[in-house]
Amino acid sequence: MLFEQCTDTSCGNIFAWLNQGPLTLTIAMHLFIILPMIWIYYDEKKKLKK
Amino acid sequence: MDEQQPNSVWTSNSFWKRSAGWVTGFAVVLLMFLTFDTMTQITMGTDQDLKDGITKRVPAATVINYQIGYKMDYSRGHEMPVIGKPELFFGKTWSVKEANQLLNLGKLTEQSKDCMNCHTLLGNGAYYAPDLTKAWLDPMWKKGGVMQLMTHTKTKEEAMAAFLQYPVKYAIHVRKMPNLKITAKEAQGLVALLKQMSSIDTNGFPRGFSRNVQDFKQGVSNAH
Amino acid sequence: MHTNLSVGFKSGSRKLAAKYFTVAIILFGAQLIMGLIAAIQFIDPGFLFGIFDFNISRTIHLNALIVWMLYAMIGSVYYMLPDETGIETVGLKLGTLAFWILTAAVTVVVLVFAFIQIGPGSQMSIWFINEGREYIEAPRWADIGIVVVVLIFYSNVLLTYLKSKQRTGIMAVLVADLFALVGLYLAGMFYTDNISVDQYWWWWVIHLWVEATWEVFVGALAAYALIQIIGANRKIVEMWLWIEVLTLFGSGILGLGHHYFWIGTPEYWWEIGALFSSLEPVPLIAMFVHVLYDWGKKQGYLNGQNAGQAIKSTIKNTPAMSWIVVNAFGNFLGAGIWGFFHTLPQVNIYTHGTQFTAAHGHLAFYGAYATILVGMMYIAIQKYYGLERLVSTTKTKLGIALTTFGVLGMTIALTIAGYEQVLVERAELGGGWQAYFTAQALPWFTQAMDWRLIMGVVTCIGFVYLVIDLMTIGKNANAQAKIKQANI
Repeated sequence: MLFEQCTDTSCGNIFAWLNQGPLTLTIAMHLFIILPMIWIYYDEKKKLKK
Repeated sequence: MDEQQPNSVWTSNSFWKRSAGWVTGFAVVLLMFLTFDTMTQITMGTDQDLKDGITKRVPAATVINYQIGYKMDYSRGHEMPVIGKPELFFGKTWSVKEANQLLNLGKLTEQSKDCMNCHTLLGNGAYYAPDLTKAWLDPMWKKGGVMQLMTHTKTKEEAMAAFLQYPVKYAIHVRKMPNLKITAKEAQGLVALLKQMSSIDTNGFPRGFSRNVQDFKQGVSNAH
Repeated sequence: MHTNLSVGFKSGSRKLAAKYFTVAIILFGAQLIMGLIAAIQFIDPGFLFGIFDFNISRTIHLNALIVWMLYAMIGSVYYMLPDETGIETVGLKLGTLAFWILTAAVTVVVLVFAFIQIGPGSQMSIWFINEGREYIEAPRWADIGIVVVVLIFYSNVLLTYLKSKQRTGIMAVLVADLFALVGLYLAGMFYTDNISVDQYWWWWVIHLWVEATWEVFVGALAAYALIQIIGANRKIVEMWLWIEVLTLFGSGILGLGHHYFWIGTPEYWWEIGALFSSLEPVPLIAMFVHVLYDWGKKQGYLNGQNAGQAIKSTIKNTPAMSWIVVNAFGNFLGAGIWGFFHTLPQVNIYTHGTQFTAAHGHLAFYGAYATILVGMMYIAIQKYYGLERLVSTTKTKLGIALTTFGVLGMTIALTIAGYEQVLVERAELGGGWQAYFTAQALPWFTQAMDWRLIMGVVTCIGFVYLVIDLMTIGKNANAQAKIKQANI
């Protein structure tokens, strides 16, 4: 089964809620961290063109 | 040279600098949220939780008044501590205040005697002596086991306290524990710490505290 | 643009750096002696039993390590400040006073560890004898002293940075990184009877030091060293430095989760710790590539321009460069590969608390930190004697080869011992008292302990060559340079 319900002692928090499948929590956190770099990239590109 | 423009964003220092700032800052923010959540989960439970049968990752000090087991939990996929029926600890039931004081003395003694630089606690420390995470559940201390016979004691806690006070006298390996001048009271405190530590939900560490595959499959632990 | 900044060794900042380096080397020696005692105790448990037990030799082994590295790190910063800011360091008098206070405090702590060793189970023991928490055993009074001294050091750095008109990327990284480094120590300065909470914050100090802030510090040192030794282009070096900061902090801060698998903390740390810490080797590869790339490029330029000329090497300081290349390898191998070996929870449940950790610890501390700090000492020696070039001697080579070979040998021995523990003690027997001693008695373990001692002795011989070389290389090179001048 790909997605399994949280079985930890306490499941009533956002992190446990995200942690219900194959690496879902850690992938989400990596995305939160890395995605804004795309915006930084285009912002820098705009500056460079000027 | 500074004025020279980079020809790509990928070689521009300011891109990497800003990205480094963002990534570091956001990782710190995430860590803080995680820390708040984890702290609420690993704060010690209360005596009432124990009475109500509420599972806490780190039970209250009065957990020393209960039997503790370590059983396979199939929904979680690993063993976890099971708090059982009340039992006497050093021949009595400890009040909340007494239990807290005893655990506190045990923790102070553990630090003052530098236990962690031979043993591991929760798997952290030195590797010169056995891991103490689930020492309370070790078959060595069980009724009629080696340690109770040798120390002429009737209970697990008394055997442990006797060993802690006279480790050289009761040594069974060439690599002995030195005499750390542990008093009778401190020894009781240490045993309380060990018992409380064995009730902490360590997500299944150490795995398979059980040597018998058959037992393991049935969810029975070798722990006593 | 950034040339002609060198203030020379008349700078008070550099004199203070020399003091820090000297104490660092003495403590390095103490670390090795304690390591030898502990290694002998593994083979002969009766050795010094009841007099100087294993917990004491190991406590001093670890603390001497941490403290000598902090000394060498502080020394390195005082050393590079004049180059990076172009001015003399601000508040040196206070800085020097702080050095003496710190050294006095360290001496007292070591003497207390060695002679009083342990105390009764009370707050008094934790305040004055031994805090009993691995790596940060220093009693509480010393913790407070360390914080005060390090704040003085930090104010020196910060004020110098602010006063200077020159703002290099290296300094920006250092100022931010040292702030975090100092602040994190506070997380380890309290007592609690909840062992899970205790270990939670304890890892904030240990992990966020050695796997985040110290690594970034090393990145900054390597950047500085490459500019000094091979004249690497500052712009490129600093770009790499920012990439390293991004990847080190990006992976290292939440990589902290790999210590939270089994200490009572929630299961969600498995995923966080596993994937973030798996990425920790990435910046180490980047650092490695970057060092070799810069070196090769500079050498290529030189070969193209100066064909047939006397000076064939772009390296102005071959001992320092050798140590930095060993650092690039060692950091990647010891911290990166050996760390990754046991960072996944599926593996770590069996390796946690075995000699695997010790194997990783030895190669990582040596490879990531000891090497580059020794490299900084060689850079300091070159400047001290005002030498155009510093060339490796036989002793330099023996020092670097024997210590590296010795540490690598210890690491392999401990890895084999750990592997055996994982299989027998953990997987087969489930990690109890008897499981532990059964595994300790098997040949794979005992032979590994023999080899660990042998390789420890090799490391010590290398260290002796290193110390002799540090004391003589500059003087000898200086004398030769003078003879050459006289002959012309």
